[in-house]
Amino acid sequence: MSAHGTATRTTAPAETLEPEQHQFIDRVVKAHHLEHGALIPVLQEVQKEFGYLSQPAIDRIASGLGIPFSEVAGVVTFYSFFNTSPRGKHIVRVCLGTACYVRNGKQVLSDLQRELGVTVGETSEDRNFTLEVGRCFGACGLAPVVMIDDDVHQRVKPARLRELLSHYQAEGEPTATPGNGSQPKQQEGAR
Amino acid sequence: MSGTKREVMVCAGGGCVASGSLDLVNEFHARLSSANGSVAVRTCGCLGPCARGPLVRIEPDGVLYEEVTVADVDEIVREHLFEDRVVERLCHRNPATDEVVPKQNDIEFFRNQTKIVLRNCGRIDPMSIDDYRAEGGYEALEKAVTSLSGDQIIEELKTSGLRGRGGAGFPTWRKWHFARNIPGARKYVVCNADEGDPGAFMDRSILEGDPHSLIEGMAIAAYTIGATQGYVYVRAEYPLAVSRLAKALEAARNAGILGASIMGSGVAFDLGIRMGSGAFVCGEETALMASIEGRRGEPRPRPPFPAEVGLWESPTLLNNVETYANVPAILARGAEWFAEIGTAQSRGTKVFALAGAVNNSGLVEVPMGTTLGELIYDIGGGITGGKSFKAAQIGGPSGGCIPREHLSVPLDYESVSKLGAIMGSGGLIVMDDDTCMVDVARFFLEFVQEESCGKCVPCRVGTKRMLEILERICSGKGVEGDIEMLEQLGRQIKETSLCGLGQSAPNPVLSTIRYFRHEYEAHIRERHCEAGVCPSLVRAPCQSACPAGVDVPGFVSLVGEERYAEALKLHRERNPFAAVCARVCFHTCEDKCRRTSLDDSVAIRGIKRFMVDQEVVIQHPRVVESEENEKRRIAIVGGGPAGLSCGYFLARLGYRPVVLEAEQRPGGMLVQTIPAYRLPRETLAREIRMIEQLGVTIKTDTALGRDFTLEQLRDEGYEAVFLGVGAPSGMALGIDGEDAEGVVEANDFLRRYNIRGSVPVGKQVVVVGGGNAAIDAARTALRLGSEKVTVVYRRTQEQMPAYAEEIEAALAEGVELRCLTQPLEVVSNDTGSVSALRCARMALGEFDRSGRRGATRAKDEPFLVEADQVIVAIGQRLDPATMLGDMEVELTGNGFIKADQLTGCTSVPWLFAGGDAASGPASVVSAIAAGERAAVGIDAMLTGEEHAFWRTEHVLDTDYDPDADPVPFPREPIPMVPVDRRKRSFDEVELPWNESVALRQCQRCLRCDYGRVPVSPDHAASEVHYA
Repeated sequence: MSAHGTATRTTAPAETLEPEQHQFIDRVVKAHHLEHGALIPVLQEVQKEFGYLSQPAIDRIASGLGIPFSEVAGVVTFYSFFNTSPRGKHIVRVCLGTACYVRNGKQVLSDLQRELGVTVGETSEDRNFTLEVGRCFGACGLAPVVMIDDDVHQRVKPARLRELLSHYQAEGEPTATPGNGSQPKQQEGAR
Repeated sequence: MSGTKREVMVCAGGGCVASGSLDLVNEFHARLSSANGSVAVRTCGCLGPCARGPLVRIEPDGVLYEEVTVADVDEIVREHLFEDRVVERLCHRNPATDEVVPKQNDIEFFRNQTKIVLRNCGRIDPMSIDDYRAEGGYEALEKAVTSLSGDQIIEELKTSGLRGRGGAGFPTWRKWHFARNIPGARKYVVCNADEGDPGAFMDRSILEGDPHSLIEGMAIAAYTIGATQGYVYVRAEYPLAVSRLAKALEAARNAGILGASIMGSGVAFDLGIRMGSGAFVCGEETALMASIEGRRGEPRPRPPFPAEVGLWESPTLLNNVETYANVPAILARGAEWFAEIGTAQSRGTKVFALAGAVNNSGLVEVPMGTTLGELIYDIGGGITGGKSFKAAQIGGPSGGCIPREHLSVPLDYESVSKLGAIMGSGGLIVMDDDTCMVDVARFFLEFVQEESCGKCVPCRVGTKRMLEILERICSGKGVEGDIEMLEQLGRQIKETSLCGLGQSAPNPVLSTIRYFRHEYEAHIRERHCEAGVCPSLVRAPCQSACPAGVDVPGFVSLVGEERYAEALKLHRERNPFAAVCARVCFHTCEDKCRRTSLDDSVAIRGIKRFMVDQEVVIQHPRVVESEENEKRRIAIVGGGPAGLSCGYFLARLGYRPVVLEAEQRPGGMLVQTIPAYRLPRETLAREIRMIEQLGVTIKTDTALGRDFTLEQLRDEGYEAVFLGVGAPSGMALGIDGEDAEGVVEANDFLRRYNIRGSVPVGKQVVVVGGGNAAIDAARTALRLGSEKVTVVYRRTQEQMPAYAEEIEAALAEGVELRCLTQPLEVVSNDTGSVSALRCARMALGEFDRSGRRGATRAKDEPFLVEADQVIVAIGQRLDPATMLGDMEVELTGNGFIKADQLTGCTSVPWLFAGGDAASGPASVVSAIAAGERAAVGIDAMLTGEEHAFWRTEHVLDTDYDPDADPVPFPREPIPMVPVDRRKRSFDEVELPWNESVALRQCQRCLRCDYGRVPVSPDHAASEVHYA
């Protein structure tokens, strides 16, 4: 497979892959292509690296694995974990599983929407946060739960949301007070 | 430092990691680096009580520390590890006794569990294969591959009675038998770890806490059916589980347990992990296999079953995590041992993920057949915040709810499914009274609708239609026929859907309709959400909780702006008895206050008390004059809160009703039984005068059945009659010697004192009962000079129906309380007067239909409680014969008058009823609300229209800044007269606040009503009609 063959079916004008992205996809495809049912693991690895699955990326995976583009796209759109558009730096997932739901998770979500100025599935204007809804992270004993990236924040109170988000806002902004919010999990754990 | 080598076990289950346990591990390592390795620091899997995390256990002492923070590590190291002193501050406390319980095995949560599946969870380091082997791990696999044939293993499983733990409970041996006997060159074993049910986390905990038990179980399965390759399908939401399982697989391969030759047997087997990608339907077995194959996770019809045509068309054995994890234990300890645990049909144990409104949420494993009540109360520690249990949702979106009256159901496959729920994977969400069951049903349906894969029409379109109806009901636009339509659609979807998702999708709706139909009806007919959840129906939860619908945020914010007269007027829009309720209301509004989630509820009753104290000139509400209505004759029988309220609201519509009261003074229970120290008589009289001033005539000393009959009223030209006579007759104990001199009924005792001013009272008084009448009688007896007053009650103090604050005040005044005590006989002396009460000690038994534990006779000998007076307060009833005469009026099962919920109308079109006479003994404010509803009902009957102008919400003009942070003031208690001054006096015991306290308290209100426009009945869209 080569880098040339892939552009034909790409209709979105802006999106193209960098050469090192091509190489990454090819590496992943090569590592899995002998396996039965390699497609989903490949998609998962590529999304983990790029944050989302752009159309050229899907195209490259399809031709790499020898699966029709339509079939790959069908799989991508079926599963809620796959995204086809870029997302924020941090993914905020509000659990609306049963336990969180009956423990006021709905209120947490509506307050977060107000706080971030986005609805579910959208990314904040500063591209810092994408808001999503989760269906149970298995931390029901600690409901309501919000997962930011891989950190699970337990017993989130709507009144404390601003403080919680500030740990992630401060991160990566050198102007912010040093030492504040660099370890969000620790803050939560210490309560 | 003691001689034995200690271990610090830090829980590294997902819950404790979220609470920060990994920081503790580092801290322990840092602190103990100087201890020369004499203390080992290790991590372990989930211990169970996740809500108490992070958890730390010190071995071999078995001491468990809860909610440990990094700052606590130093103390644990210094005190416990170096000085052998348990840090009691961090230990579990028994909530009932407040006793410190340092050892894990003594804690109630653990004591009542039986661990098979979770045998190693929390005991070993999940990442150490040596730990697992030290506990006997992989011995079962070794035994299998060296000395058992596949048939022998299946025979063992058959004897054990193990059934699939994924939900349906299919016998495991049979599945294995099929998979073994179907020929195939290549076979697979697959583990379903796609724990998609929200509220279930047992599989995650096994994967994280004891991954080798799953690997061993799957390897045994592979050997049994002859598979060489296996997959564990884990959901993507569990990254920690995936990484631990991957490491465990690596360790097993390195140890020669997986790979070309299982434990040197020459049998090859290897396992891979496949991660889900966020599709609930992939928990369905055929969809799961499609997903492993790299396709869209859509199910296909069965048969053929996976055992015949599975993964890549090969025979495939598919089980759930918990099922596989049981297998090594069965082979190691014997099928007979396993079969002895649990019930005849459901053997072994079940792991439940206990969550929701329960004190000890977390992971528990109990023998099958344990009752739901035992699980929630003995292990779960009861409902949080002392609220009452409403229902448990079991089995996730495919399951159903189990209500209060079935708390004693044994948890096994058959019993649970008989109630319309399913065992499911074991998610068990406990719900309290703050949960709206219609909203819960809507929630689950929204979930399955979103997760429906769309392949078959019944599931894709049918659930959409059901969701639309539920959304309509929750937003106050439900119409008659909606419930029936939901039932019909539900049945059709169940019968015609392709896979388990669709076939079970309607279950939560059907089961909530089955047990909570009245809530659906209240949403549709009254536009009322009692739990205060459905946003369109709830302006503020306090207001929804108030039976009379008082605009709580309204009067609170008006008081906050010192507009006391307006505040009081607003209160009287819905409830004339502001000053009465400021003293005696049981304030459900405070129970639902949202401020509780921040710190504590707003002291609404305290604010109300302050408000009514500011009333100088009596505040009359708006009255609509009507010459027409003035001429119509309406009689109200009974001058209690229900009757007087009915009169009040009728008068506001221009009627001139007549209240007929049997006693010398109006007020009903308010004047007859509620003592003056709780409700000063002048306060009551003032509000009754206000009602009279509106045009209500009150005739006292006129008793139904004695002075007149209902038919006579009709003959005299009364067009409508409201019956609000209360439940004036006391219930008898039904024990020997009850007719002895000195045995009195509580209401008679209170009535005699309150109306006539004196009543004989003993020196040693025993009051039997646990309600408000019992406490009122006890405190009255004490004030009248009794030397000793004892209240005996057959259940526990927590179960007493009396208001907790009244019980506490009584205890403070010196009333003695003997709970779990049942009277057996009244013992008399030779003159025929009571001398003692023979009582038996009781113990709490099974849960009864009220959702409380029933009291059963303990084995101890009966004992005597000395008494020269026994006051019986065990309940009240209506005596329909004396009230109704020959008239035929339909009664409820309990012998009260059957009246329509909305209008108070009885089976006789001109006769209305409300208050205790219709509902049975209830609260003052419920009676007030019933009076209001009947007034609206009577008006509608007479005029054919509804004119209840007071039901329209008022627009508030008080200031509120929605962006301001909540004020930090605490909830203020209501001050009381000191005990030594109040216990011999009938002066009011509660003292008012001063103005600054009251104004600050008002500011605590979060103004849930802000920006809300509730649906009023007129606005209800009626775009839907059922023919």
